[in-house]
Amino acid sequence: MLRSIKLKIVAVALVTILMTFFAQGTLAFYSTTGKATNVVTSGEIQFIIHETTDQGTVFPEEGAYIVPGDVVSKEVTIENTCTHPFYLRVKVVYGVNAQELSAEDCFKLNINETHWEYYEGWYYYKGILTPGETTPYVFSHVEIVGDKVDNSYIGKTLSLTVSAHAVQSEHNPITDGKTYTASGWPME
Amino acid sequence: MHDFILLLCFSLPTMAKEGTVTYAGDSGEFIFTPGSSQSPTDLFPEFKDVMPGDTLVQKIKVKNAASKEVKVKIYLRALGAQADSQDFLSQLGLKVRTASNNTMAYMFDAAASETAQLSDWVCLGTLYSGGVVNLEVLLEVPVTLGNEYSGQTGYLDWDFKVEEFPVEDDDPVPPTGDSFNRPLWITVLAGAGIVLILLFILRRRREAA
Repeated sequence: MLRSIKLKIVAVALVTILMTFFAQGTLAFYSTTGKATNVVTSGEIQFIIHETTDQGTVFPEEGAYIVPGDVVSKEVTIENTCTHPFYLRVKVVYGVNAQELSAEDCFKLNINETHWEYYEGWYYYKGILTPGETTPYVFSHVEIVGDKVDNSYIGKTLSLTVSAHAVQSEHNPITDGKTYTASGWPME
Repeated sequence: MHDFILLLCFSLPTMAKEGTVTYAGDSGEFIFTPGSSQSPTDLFPEFKDVMPGDTLVQKIKVKNAASKEVKVKIYLRALGAQADSQDFLSQLGLKVRTASNNTMAYMFDAAASETAQLSDWVCLGTLYSGGVVNLEVLLEVPVTLGNEYSGQTGYLDWDFKVEEFPVEDDDPVPPTGDSFNRPLWITVLAGAGIVLILLFILRRRREAA
């Protein structure tokens, strides 16, 4: 009798051990999770407009005193300060601090037509400006037109503002080498 | 000498930066590399400074570095863009697939801000010790992306999950790179042993004679 009970206990123990063994084969040991925060950043187009004199110094912010017929040294170049190449265009806007006067035709610029092309109010750089590169000058001298600037301009301030737009050249083909045919030029 | 140096310089390839996800085993943490200044767990080094019109590929290796006694199932799910990145990332297209089979459909194909087909866990595969799953992530930046999205940073979260299982007897043996030819070497050893015994017997006979 006692021997029979012992045998049963051994049998049950064996079955239990076998069940445990097979159960381990179907259950996962461990489970764990981890989070990756992935980042996408977009590039940007950046440039600096440099205004220098023929002495290599920065053109003074306060401007220069002029008289009719003066030729002022003011060399304008643009430097690509981002990591992307781009097309470039420049506009020169004239102004005077007197409503009754006009600044049009008061200035005469020696535009560098070798590298800049005029089209509908803008001077377009003929090439692609690569990262770190600086353009050849847009103009280097400004002549104050004596026939236009008469005594009525005495004591007034004439201004000449250079503004520039750039648009990426990557994935942006142009037609016939004309950079003004590029897509994406900002609206004025 | 100068020519040689020049040639060497030209032959240096531009290496694509790879993301890696490593599971070290024993329910430890995942290790994500390479990370970035914006996020230590960033897997997208190739998706920086993107421009309109770009189509970029990011390769990601998912590795099982656990011990040989276990195999793991690795799962992936997308949590989508973080709240402040929704607008920017909704402009970009993202595709994800395993790179082992080029004919396989993308397991994710939607705007980068969405969770889409990866809303629930998707099993990337069962990996034995040393096993790897290669993922390919494709980012498409529309050429029409406006100036208002320049200089933006977008964050999107992915969850990885691992389940460890014991390796069973009927599991396939993963290739180990060990090309040891056991029958050949046993035959050579047996032959050498027989020759040695024969030489010993011959020597004893000569000595006896």
